[in-house]
Amino acid sequence: MNSPIALAIVAIIVLGTVVFAVASVRRFTMTPQEYIVGGRGFGAVFLWVLLAGEIYTSFTFLGAAGWTYTFGAPAFYIMAYGTCGYIFYYFLFPWIWRMGKQHGLLTLPDLIQVRYQSRMLSTLVAIIAVVALIPYITLQLSALQIFLTVAGGGAIDPVAGACVAFLIIIAFVFVTGLRGTAWASIIKDALVIGALLFVGLAIPLQFFGSPATLFDQVLRAHPEHLTLGPLTAPKGSLWYVSTVLLTGLGFFSGPQSIGAIFSAKDENVLRRNAMLLPIYQLIMLLIFFAGFSALLIVPGLKGPAADQSFLAVVSRYYPPWVLGFVTGTGALCALVPSTALLLSSASVVAKNIAGDLFKIGTDDTGRLRVTRIMVVALGLLSLGLWLAYRTTLVDLLLLTYNGISQFMPAYLFGAYWKRTTTAGVTAGIVVGIVLALSLAGTGTAPFGINPGFIGLTANVLVLVGVSRLTQATQTPAPEPELE
Amino acid sequence: MQRRLRFLLAAIPFGALSVAVPFVNFVEPRILGLPFLLAWIAFWVIVTPAFIWVLGRSEGHW
Repeated sequence: MNSPIALAIVAIIVLGTVVFAVASVRRFTMTPQEYIVGGRGFGAVFLWVLLAGEIYTSFTFLGAAGWTYTFGAPAFYIMAYGTCGYIFYYFLFPWIWRMGKQHGLLTLPDLIQVRYQSRMLSTLVAIIAVVALIPYITLQLSALQIFLTVAGGGAIDPVAGACVAFLIIIAFVFVTGLRGTAWASIIKDALVIGALLFVGLAIPLQFFGSPATLFDQVLRAHPEHLTLGPLTAPKGSLWYVSTVLLTGLGFFSGPQSIGAIFSAKDENVLRRNAMLLPIYQLIMLLIFFAGFSALLIVPGLKGPAADQSFLAVVSRYYPPWVLGFVTGTGALCALVPSTALLLSSASVVAKNIAGDLFKIGTDDTGRLRVTRIMVVALGLLSLGLWLAYRTTLVDLLLLTYNGISQFMPAYLFGAYWKRTTTAGVTAGIVVGIVLALSLAGTGTAPFGINPGFIGLTANVLVLVGVSRLTQATQTPAPEPELE
Repeated sequence: MQRRLRFLLAAIPFGALSVAVPFVNFVEPRILGLPFLLAWIAFWVIVTPAFIWVLGRSEGHW
């Protein structure tokens, strides 16, 4: 009975954001540079908004709350790894950006191509990147379905709703490009802060009086929830350290992140963002509060229901407009990052596969057109895959989580070690991904160590070993200077 | 500032949030009501911008 109000608010939030962002980008003439990397003109604040918009997805929130509910302290890694990522990439942003600026790069494989001069390597990276991103897009669709289910309360078919919303998003990316994502992120980031202050602060205050009393009660009911398990246990201390290292070092290694780095106006914009983004990380604290509150208020949930535990609290105890606000914000957290993922995978296919490999659309007009066609094609492909294989796609996420980080050594060594060779990087990536996936796929985690981290370690060792044995790559263009 | 010192400025918060965490894996003493482990992580997230500011300052970026 109440669901129309919540659903109407969700629709207003999503459509309002789309209209606002489309109106904001109308005055720009589109070129591939403008469409894919925002004309390399983003200042510190705009880039901050964009990065916060694309990094913190619906699964950051659902997953973090669900983990807090189910496991407790292991969820804390989510607040730590992003911060480690910002510290680490402070040292890599300038190199990546300078390469992009000097050579007019658009995509991650472009960067690999310029540094390592190998069409085989850059094509390999392009394929891995796109195959890893598509399941991540479908994951956002699943999140969207969750939010629409909770908001609709059975009034609409959430799968159909998710399809309609995603078709709007495909059209949105087609029209606006990266700048549209950034403008939409303004609304998304603001709503996220509002919604999290509510679920993470108002709920604990109302039910428990203060976060301190909340933790008193968690300690009484679930004492093991506030610390990590023994050293080598699943989700124990070694798991924590290896996971923070893997995800922190791989934080900006994906194609959507490289695109965002290229969009900066200058390299100091990026340094400033490395400094300021940890502040946004603090909102994760509110998610932990929400997860612990839900654990006490609606105990006993398992699996996907645990991820939605804080939504259950909202829908049970609060009026429909609050539910609409929270789920509408959640829907934006699925849709806005999807725009960035869709744009970056489409630009990789258009530039590095259609353009570089098959010589289709190599001038500006052609490239823009091919990129837009790929946005529609990959968008529809993701939607189709999601409808057909919703459950099995989850397995492919192993590639997203363990595969993308394996590109990091190519940047780190590419920037700081002149002796790095194409053969070394290629061998490192292949060994890293094969090892990480075979361990993760079989559920093997020796001593509780994250399989992706084992892959990354092997990747670095192979890269260094093979590079020492092979002839250094000749990078013809002058390499940007690093102190 | 020396190169080694600048490296330390980055390594301290990075290490505090990663390899140091198993050594602060306890609930007491509670800080502002938070279990110590969570308070430790939150503290280092809050002070990281200060470390990066000093780092950028020492390199002459601002």
